[in-house]
Amino acid sequence: MRDISLKVEPGELVVLVGPSGCGKTTTLRMVAGLEAVTAGEVRIAGRLVTGLPPRHRNVAMVFQNYALYAHMTVRANIGFGLKMAGMPKREIRGRVNQAADILGITELLDRKPRQLSGGQRQRVAMGRAIVREPAAFLMDEPLSNLDAKLRVEMRAEITNVHRRIGAPTLYVTHDQTEAMTMGDRVAILRQGALEQIGTPLELYERPVNVFVAGFIGSPAMNLLPATLDSSGDAWYASVGGSRLLIPTKTRAALQPFAGHDIVLGLRPEDFVSTEDLREGAHGVIQATVARAESLGSELLVYLTMNDATTLPLTVRLDRRAALQQGAPTRIGVDLQRLYFFDPKTGAAIR
Amino acid sequence: MTRCPAAQLLRVVAITGIGLWSLAPIGLGVATSLSTQADVQAVPARWLPRHAMLDAYRSLLGGTGDVRAGGTVSESGAFAHAMWNSASVTLMSTLSILCVAISAGYAFARLRFPGRGALFWAIVATTVVPVFTVVIALFGLMADAHLIDRKLGLVLVFVSTTTPLAMWLVCNNVKELPTEPEEAALIDGCTRWQAFWHVVLPQMRSGIAALSAIVMLSVWGEFLIPLMLTSTSASKPVTVLIPEYVGKYTTNYPLLAAAGVLALLPPAVVALILNRYIRGMLSGSS
Repeated sequence: MRDISLKVEPGELVVLVGPSGCGKTTTLRMVAGLEAVTAGEVRIAGRLVTGLPPRHRNVAMVFQNYALYAHMTVRANIGFGLKMAGMPKREIRGRVNQAADILGITELLDRKPRQLSGGQRQRVAMGRAIVREPAAFLMDEPLSNLDAKLRVEMRAEITNVHRRIGAPTLYVTHDQTEAMTMGDRVAILRQGALEQIGTPLELYERPVNVFVAGFIGSPAMNLLPATLDSSGDAWYASVGGSRLLIPTKTRAALQPFAGHDIVLGLRPEDFVSTEDLREGAHGVIQATVARAESLGSELLVYLTMNDATTLPLTVRLDRRAALQQGAPTRIGVDLQRLYFFDPKTGAAIR
Repeated sequence: MTRCPAAQLLRVVAITGIGLWSLAPIGLGVATSLSTQADVQAVPARWLPRHAMLDAYRSLLGGTGDVRAGGTVSESGAFAHAMWNSASVTLMSTLSILCVAISAGYAFARLRFPGRGALFWAIVATTVVPVFTVVIALFGLMADAHLIDRKLGLVLVFVSTTTPLAMWLVCNNVKELPTEPEEAALIDGCTRWQAFWHVVLPQMRSGIAALSAIVMLSVWGEFLIPLMLTSTSASKPVTVLIPEYVGKYTTNYPLLAAAGVLALLPPAVVALILNRYIRGMLSGSS
């Protein structure tokens, strides 16, 4: 891990996201005190905790596999931290009941973890965390062992519980949908380094580099090799035999790349079909339909460009778009929403 | 699954054979222990006693036995004492071995400290040293420490010979346990020791049960070390006492067999009670 600087504000939920092996879980474990920090410091609620063992950090953690105490009942699981803290039995009972009430698991309190379903175990793990009223919550891919439907449900539930409790939360996931829907801010990690941190919309609208641009958004942004042509007043990005007019606002930043290669980023959702194409607002790309998938609400179309490069292109179109497989088509792209990247460094040009 | 009848037959024959092979001597022992010396020495051999009687047991445990059981042998004190010695040494050894092996095995499995690997294998390597290569040195050592003919001496030797293997098993057992519950406990406010006590140990219950059975059985059956280190009923275990019933000119077979049967009972009970766990551990799912 290098140069990670991250601050979670009170009441905020920050999501750490990145491909596997990027160091997001390690970061979380360093905050928890389960992993030693070789350089730098960790503060929780303003208190320096870098060298402290986990028990003195006043954090709660929810693990991917729930990490419930298999030999204890749900009640004992949730109350374990309080018992360790030496809280009187009656008070523990009250707080456990309250937490169980919030999570809707009151009727499960006397069961053992093995008698519970995945979603129920997840709730117990949450209960164990919230009952202690810690200074911060740490969640390590808490939803990845659940099926798709339950995941959506628990996503909303965790967000609700977080709003209700209001403690700062650091949430690790590899699922960008989770990151975008749950995070107040999202931090993107790659190979132990922080690539970008910002609100979900910031990451989507203004990615700092190719990696973030390709990681956020589904389907992923089309990243295409292009050349920058300037013919007098008009600047064009040439890609796969098509020329896209570059809006005047971005010309200044693109100045050093005139006549050179750049990486052009096009979001699948910024395309329109031939019928909706408006000259001036949209640039035109000539391509052939390789495959079209209907998602009901929209059409996911995979194209190849009509020149020697046959670059692949993924676009999302209105569900009424009339397209034929194998047929050449003209597809429009919103010229105000072009992304440019330096082909050498991958950094965004804007 | 369809089974070939021939294979089925072979299986039955094999199982019966193995069963007979291991159980027949015990059956013979029980039969002999219920016989008289005359029955045992009858020609042609008489496998079952004409009248089953408990004289041999009586003379072992209750003092004087009947002449028919092979003469009056006043062995009562000695045998009961030896049983007590065996039981107490086994119990003390097992408890000590478990304490050391569990804490050491856990430490080797979970804690990171310099020289861990080297130390671990150095300890485990001692299990390959056969006892008979060190008996002379061991005897000298125990004599110097004034531990000859004392139960403490036996316990110490058993702890040092059996702990490495036990520790190895514990270490593997702990490595198979998920680390997250432990980490959850650490975050929940436990010290390392508390996490071990409240969370790890309960998960190891079946492994520990199996391990205690294995340790108890092996300590109970020890012969060479007690033979060398014990001389009187102060510490002599039953395994060493029984061969002494073999006389130079005559041997009281019913008595010998009865002693064998009685010595067999405690380990048999342990094995029956903990059988479930032992099977679990041997098949790798504790």
